[in-house]
Amino acid sequence: MSVIPLEHILILASILFVIGFVGVIVRKNTLYILMSLEVMLNAVGVAFIGAGSVWQQADGQVMFILILTLAAAEVAVGLALLLQMQTRFKSLDIDLLSKLKG
Amino acid sequence: MTLTMLYSLLPILIIAFGCVLSLLLIAWRRSQHLILFFTLAILTSALIASLLMQFDVSQAVQVTLLLKVDGYGHFAFILVLLASIAVSLLSSRWLQNSIEVHDEYFVLLQLVVLGAGIIVMSDHFGALFLGFELLSIALVGLVGYCKVSQYSVESSFKYLILSATASSFMLLGIAFIYSQTGVLSFNVINEQISYGVFYQAGLLLFLVGIAFKLSLAPFHFWTPDVYQGSPTPVTLLLASVSKVAMFVVLMKCWFSQLALFAVVPKGAGIFFIMGLLAVLSMLVGNVLALKQQNVKRLLAYSSIAHMGYLLIVLMIIAPQSISLAWQSALFYLSAYVLATVSIFMALQLTQNNDELMGEINEWQGLFWRSRMLALLIIVAILSLAGIPLTMGFIGKFYLLNLAVEAQQWWLIAALIIGSGIGLFYYLRIIFVLFLTEKNVNVEQIKWLNNMSFFHRTTIFVLTFMGVFLGVFPDSLALVLTLL
Repeated sequence: MSVIPLEHILILASILFVIGFVGVIVRKNTLYILMSLEVMLNAVGVAFIGAGSVWQQADGQVMFILILTLAAAEVAVGLALLLQMQTRFKSLDIDLLSKLKG
Repeated sequence: MTLTMLYSLLPILIIAFGCVLSLLLIAWRRSQHLILFFTLAILTSALIASLLMQFDVSQAVQVTLLLKVDGYGHFAFILVLLASIAVSLLSSRWLQNSIEVHDEYFVLLQLVVLGAGIIVMSDHFGALFLGFELLSIALVGLVGYCKVSQYSVESSFKYLILSATASSFMLLGIAFIYSQTGVLSFNVINEQISYGVFYQAGLLLFLVGIAFKLSLAPFHFWTPDVYQGSPTPVTLLLASVSKVAMFVVLMKCWFSQLALFAVVPKGAGIFFIMGLLAVLSMLVGNVLALKQQNVKRLLAYSSIAHMGYLLIVLMIIAPQSISLAWQSALFYLSAYVLATVSIFMALQLTQNNDELMGEINEWQGLFWRSRMLALLIIVAILSLAGIPLTMGFIGKFYLLNLAVEAQQWWLIAALIIGSGIGLFYYLRIIFVLFLTEKNVNVEQIKWLNNMSFFHRTTIFVLTFMGVFLGVFPDSLALVLTLL
């Protein structure tokens, strides 16, 4: 079994990250924006696990677990805001949130 | 874990303990005043603990791999604590107007302070990440705290999405750096590693993440909206605590990598990018501030410019001037925090009800109604503008000194042009204070005449500090040389 080179892992992580980032920018529905944020964070997780296994250290996996915790906390706050938005605007369109200008 | 380590972590431990105790306190009795006094007690005891600490950078204590407690970190934490004490004093007035009991607010506030404490002491990307998220997620809650406000959902959603994006960028950067070096500590000097394209990309992504949080120029779009949409005390928290913590950790990280930039031939590129960010922030921040009518938005743009000025300290190359760079940065940050706290104090005291939106025109003729408040605003504004005999001037002088030493002529030019533009909008606020008023707000006058003794003392102390430290800057500069 051949070893996967580190570059390939990092390139895969970058591609996933870009997909997530494009999702955050392009999507209009806030729920999908939150999901795209998850994709970005998990792409980072792939990079960490790959790097950790190349260096034969646990650090990469520790960071991944921390990232999972972060993702959960962020989604909790995000969904709370989402509910508030739904009750107030009856819609999840991000364009409704553009009152602040100056 | 030895006793010395625990002792050097004492301020952070007090705050962490305070968070848990506050939750227990809430379970026992829900009272606005009780939790406010408890928060103030926790913050004050942490402040006393860090003041008692030995200020000595040679005695920097490495607490496990994750944290490193040194004099600079302590000084930054003292600034953070002072700012958050001001925030809790301001919030007490804002929260009194509502009927509900808001004790979660103070728990979130303590979590923000804890996150800032971990950030300024961190010496490891893992600790940096933990502190960063503690700070950001608690701040998202605080930004959207005032549910009745029409802007709460919008500003907190914007802050959530942008800070989550920023932290993903930062994390990807850390992952790339880790994949090349194999170490998550800040100071890694290993000659055998090839610092190739992935390492540089990682460093760049890391900088992007930090620049989002510091709201440096191409990444500043969230700042004015979030500043305007959040409650005034929370805006103060965003402007002071989060900025100080992020800048201090950026400096720590940058200076530990400095030896590396000298080794790597392509190191000049990263200096170029940093310089570009600095120049852009100074110009964009100052130019966009010109047309603002809202005090909070104006301060948001001015904070972009100030962070741009501060980036000058990162441009030094000679390792022997690092301590000078730290002194300048901490002096500038103290001046910035004092001025910001003063202005937001004034803003909160004049916004006696929710109808007032913090437009500059609401301050029209304030000098004739409340001399003390107007004086406080004038001292703070002059300090932000960098007029001689204020702290801001001395801070800018430090920065110019560093820039000349590093021979960054473009940055000096941008600093001078930026400050020139800045005078225009800063002086407009002072001008408005002296105008005779057209529409008299009776309620505001009544409130200003009935200010409590406590508020008067706070205003007096802030004004006095601004004047004293401006006239005798040595008193603070001497402390900084001891660090």
